Amino acid sequence: MNALRIVGTALGVLWLAATTAVADVAAAASEAPLPDAREIARRAEDVLRGASAYTDGEMTIVSPRLPAPRTVRFRSWDDRGGDRSFIRILAPAKDRGTGFLKIFPNLWTYIPRVERTMRIPPSMMLQSWMGSDFTNDDLVRQSSQLDDYDHVLLRVEEGFQGLGGAGPYRAYVVEYRPHEDAPVVWGRIVTWIEVVHASPLRQEFYDEDDVKLRRMDFGDIREVDGRFVPHLWVMTPLEKQGYETRIQIHEIRFDEKFDDSIFTTRNLKRRD
Amino acid sequence: MRLILRLAWRNVWRNPHRTGLTVAATVFAVLLVVVFVAMAAGVHDKMIEDSVRLSSGHVTIAGAGYLEERTLEKFVHFDPKLARELDTTPGVVGWAPRVVGFGLLSNGPETHGIAVLGVDPARESAVTTLPGRVTEGRFVGGAGSHEIVLGERLARSLHAQLGEQLLLYSVAYSLEMAYDLFTVVGTMKLPDPAMDRGLGVVNLRDAQSFFVYGDRVSEVAILARSADETSVVQAKLEREIPGKDVAVYGWPQVMPELVQFIFLDDASMYIMLVILVVVVAFGILNTLLMSVLERKREFGVALAVGLRPKAIFSLVYVESMLLAAVGLAIGLGLALPLVLWLVGHPIDLHSEAMRAMVELLGVEPQIVWKLKVMNPVGSAITIFAVAAIAALYPAFKASRARPVDALRSI
Repeated sequence: MNALRIVGTALGVLWLAATTAVADVAAAASEAPLPDAREIARRAEDVLRGASAYTDGEMTIVSPRLPAPRTVRFRSWDDRGGDRSFIRILAPAKDRGTGFLKIFPNLWTYIPRVERTMRIPPSMMLQSWMGSDFTNDDLVRQSSQLDDYDHVLLRVEEGFQGLGGAGPYRAYVVEYRPHEDAPVVWGRIVTWIEVVHASPLRQEFYDEDDVKLRRMDFGDIREVDGRFVPHLWVMTPLEKQGYETRIQIHEIRFDEKFDDSIFTTRNLKRRD
Repeated sequence: MRLILRLAWRNVWRNPHRTGLTVAATVFAVLLVVVFVAMAAGVHDKMIEDSVRLSSGHVTIAGAGYLEERTLEKFVHFDPKLARELDTTPGVVGWAPRVVGFGLLSNGPETHGIAVLGVDPARESAVTTLPGRVTEGRFVGGAGSHEIVLGERLARSLHAQLGEQLLLYSVAYSLEMAYDLFTVVGTMKLPDPAMDRGLGVVNLRDAQSFFVYGDRVSEVAILARSADETSVVQAKLEREIPGKDVAVYGWPQVMPELVQFIFLDDASMYIMLVILVVVVAFGILNTLLMSVLERKREFGVALAVGLRPKAIFSLVYVESMLLAAVGLAIGLGLALPLVLWLVGHPIDLHSEAMRAMVELLGVEPQIVWKLKVMNPVGSAITIFAVAAIAALYPAFKASRARPVDALRSI
């Protein structure tokens, strides 16, 4: 008698599972076919960086240590194809002319005040970049978000509220999972990407123990040459209170051909 | 009781050979225990003292949470009030404020991440041996000199010559870029390879201005009269420097690995000594048992003429205790002068094998002895207690002799 009841329950569970699965498939089929997750990630990367990008912007560091936020003005030349970039600091006056040259995987800095060029060793990649919540690694490895990770579409999120109350957006939620032997520091990255224009909206960075360490929010989306480009990036470290680094882009131009002479240690030392 | 004592004393010397051997075994055990315990105490004390004088001091004042995460965010304001407090706290022999930061030190193509230690040279020599470790050149000069002293290995890997200017690069406490040129004025030999490869010492004020640190310091290292006074001084300072942002650490908290090493070392030594004592105890047991079996007839007669078994038990037991007491007395009589002499005569071990220990623990390879009161007292109590337990069985055996059987046997 009991045995019969158990079999009956088991059959019921199976039936329930089967019908739910059918319902899921039906729901999925009723929508447009989902694009490939890697393709979504590639489009987002293209919105942010293009094949190359010239940026004029400023970085603001907020910290409980500081009586007032500290601002750094910079210009950058990012040649994604060549995996190289160049950053020149314009302000504060004390650091004016300081340069950073990245030719993957190397990073050099030049400090005009003491007239010295220094290669930042690989072991120092996780150190803060100019006191901000960005690391040296963020400067060097950005492009590897495509090459060093597998991309998995987790879900489509409706009503995503963007930075400063923008939106609501419909967003793909894509998980970036690092390749087995990839030289990356993150356990995984979860990225929200707007469905229509592929503007990145948010990234959450988890360490290898799956602790969420920091969050980057993208806002102030403006159209530039047909791209919907976030002009405000806000990095928030989650393990400490009251810290935040904002990058506000004043001007960004895409897909220009950069002269090779930009990406040289000679250019580092040039006084602009 | 007097009678039993006298009888026992006579019985002990009825067989001088046997007694002599038993006593010798006890003497040997006492000697070994006392000398080994004194050696451990001496070596461990020296380890503590050397480590304390190498860097941390007996007591360290720092920002709360400093031991978990040594960053610029953990600091204490080093104001005249704190200095006055330290000067007036009894038991404080010396103190040295320090800034501990992180930086990239660069010489041409070579760049290394280093710990930047800012010290007040005059105060530092009152607390640690750091200024005395300079092997080439000299220690850092006054405020504003922008001089740096490097660990030998660090200097070598940076190809840095004396007089050269190196770039030090970091992020200041104020979250701006920190960079400055520092002149190499000396190199020092540091026993810890990690320090030797990665420590640069600069003037305290230079470090404070480099890191835009104001009157902040990372730690104040404090020297007490001896390691034994650590907790007393620590408690006093805790009372006098209150505040939830400030922590007062004793050296065991700063160097838990040293505490662990000493614990393990002590444990293995005590296990060895216990084995030794147990072996000696079995020796005593054997001797007593043999003597009891030999004297079976004697006990039988004594019982036959009306001596109570209890009295026989006492007799044999007192004999054993006398044996132990004689051994103990002679053992201590030899051990104490020996250890007292050894205290004044440390043994240097500057061999190749010992270099490993030096590098591992930052301790000079020297065997030293230290006599603490607990050592001879504890050894005496232990050995006496073991003998008391070992004597139970033979005494019991003797008291259970049956007159008829005993008289029949030889």
